[in-house]
Amino acid sequence: MKKGSIYSWLLFILILLLWEMLAKQMSELVLPAPSVVFNTLIEGLTSGYYTPHILRTSLEIVIGLFLGSLLGILTGIWMGEVEFIRKLLFPYVIASQAVPKLALAPLFILWFGFGMTSKVVITGLICFFPLMENTVTAIQYTDPKKLELFRVLGANRWQTLFKLKIPAGLPSIMAGFRVAVVLAVVGAVVGEFIGGSEGLGALIIASQGMMDTPLMFSVLMLITLIGTFLYQLIYFIERRLFKYRKQ
Amino acid sequence: MAYLSLQDVRYSYAKNNLIVDSVSFDVEKGKFHSLLGKSGCGKTTLLKLAAGLLTPNEGSILLQGERIKPSEKIGFVFQSPTLLEWKTVIDNVLLPVSLKHKVTKEHVKKAESLLDLMGLSHLKKEYPARLSGGQQSRVSIARALMGSPTLLYMDEPFSALDAITREELQDDLLRLCELHQMTVLFVTHDISEAVYLSDRIAVMDKGRIIHEFFVNIQDRHTPDSRYSGQFSQLCLEIRTAISGGLR
Repeated sequence: MKKGSIYSWLLFILILLLWEMLAKQMSELVLPAPSVVFNTLIEGLTSGYYTPHILRTSLEIVIGLFLGSLLGILTGIWMGEVEFIRKLLFPYVIASQAVPKLALAPLFILWFGFGMTSKVVITGLICFFPLMENTVTAIQYTDPKKLELFRVLGANRWQTLFKLKIPAGLPSIMAGFRVAVVLAVVGAVVGEFIGGSEGLGALIIASQGMMDTPLMFSVLMLITLIGTFLYQLIYFIERRLFKYRKQ
Repeated sequence: MAYLSLQDVRYSYAKNNLIVDSVSFDVEKGKFHSLLGKSGCGKTTLLKLAAGLLTPNEGSILLQGERIKPSEKIGFVFQSPTLLEWKTVIDNVLLPVSLKHKVTKEHVKKAESLLDLMGLSHLKKEYPARLSGGQQSRVSIARALMGSPTLLYMDEPFSALDAITREELQDDLLRLCELHQMTVLFVTHDISEAVYLSDRIAVMDKGRIIHEFFVNIQDRHTPDSRYSGQFSQLCLEIRTAISGGLR
């Protein structure tokens, strides 16, 4: 193990100890000790209390991420490739950037109901933008030298798109995906805050109502774990995909 | 009739800014031709016009009597190697084929033999990022030769390399040209490179060909020939022509 990561772990333990000490001085309602939170977490997991909520939130994240990213990539390619479309849509894209997407959550609940659809739509919408933007940039700014090479080789538009622009832009597209993954978790959880009886976000709201702070903390831990897992998964995929880069 | 014939070619990016000004130039089959001049003299633009990558505003460029267009007959080597970093060395060499057809065993064999000629067969499964500058240049030459071109265009392909690697590659290139009976149009700003490689040298200045030289040096293409009196004499004459002494 490298020196840096040893210190990183030591810091983690130090924070836990400080938290434990601090929590001892306070009511459990305000700040539950890490040991209490950990017990609640294990209990919830073994009793199966969390299972439907974890499944629900995970499903929303995965479906929203998939649909939002797919649509983002396709729109990005379309806008990157066709100048007319880019000029037509770009003012709206910039304007929509200023709209806080999460603030639209109540509207989506109104339109799509309290079920899963509204959360998937929020998650999808929030994932759409980073992917679309990164894809447009990647497609639009392909290395001119490589474009010239493809012209010399007599490649047509589709060949240039699929064999040059998309593979060359993949690192940038994946960077957008990495951002989208983190935002997807936020989207799904906030969606559940506003309306819903199932899911980790709903559980946080319920724990607030029940004044069960240890439960709230344990659910926060679960959400963090899901986010970290997804992020690491993308990181792993990137490592496999871009092994051609100099190590 | 000349193999490739440029007739009164004019080209400008913007009005009143003529990059190539009334150039007429004949390229003979099987010979090595160089365009020599200071940077900004229009030699690269002329090369791109001659390869059909740019369309002239006026004049005509005919390959065996027909208007030039990108085809398998033509190979182009750029100033920088311009390899696709996500493809292995062998896949980069196979690119001209894989864009057009399905890659067969014969194609792979041919690519392997080209890499062998370039002394790179041990690196065929590597990615370009792990290759040195000289090795990358060699790969890009192998790629240009993949379609068995009869006409090879080269835009300062060795300018970024150290002197010794450059000399090695020059000899490799001459060997290949002889082997494949290729006609070459080569752009450079290096006088001795032009003299060593070429049968004919056109000196360019401000978009015009201001002088032409035919190289008749005995025992050319031997290591000693670079240091012979005849060689130096011709270099000096060309140098004088570039600075405007010969008119």
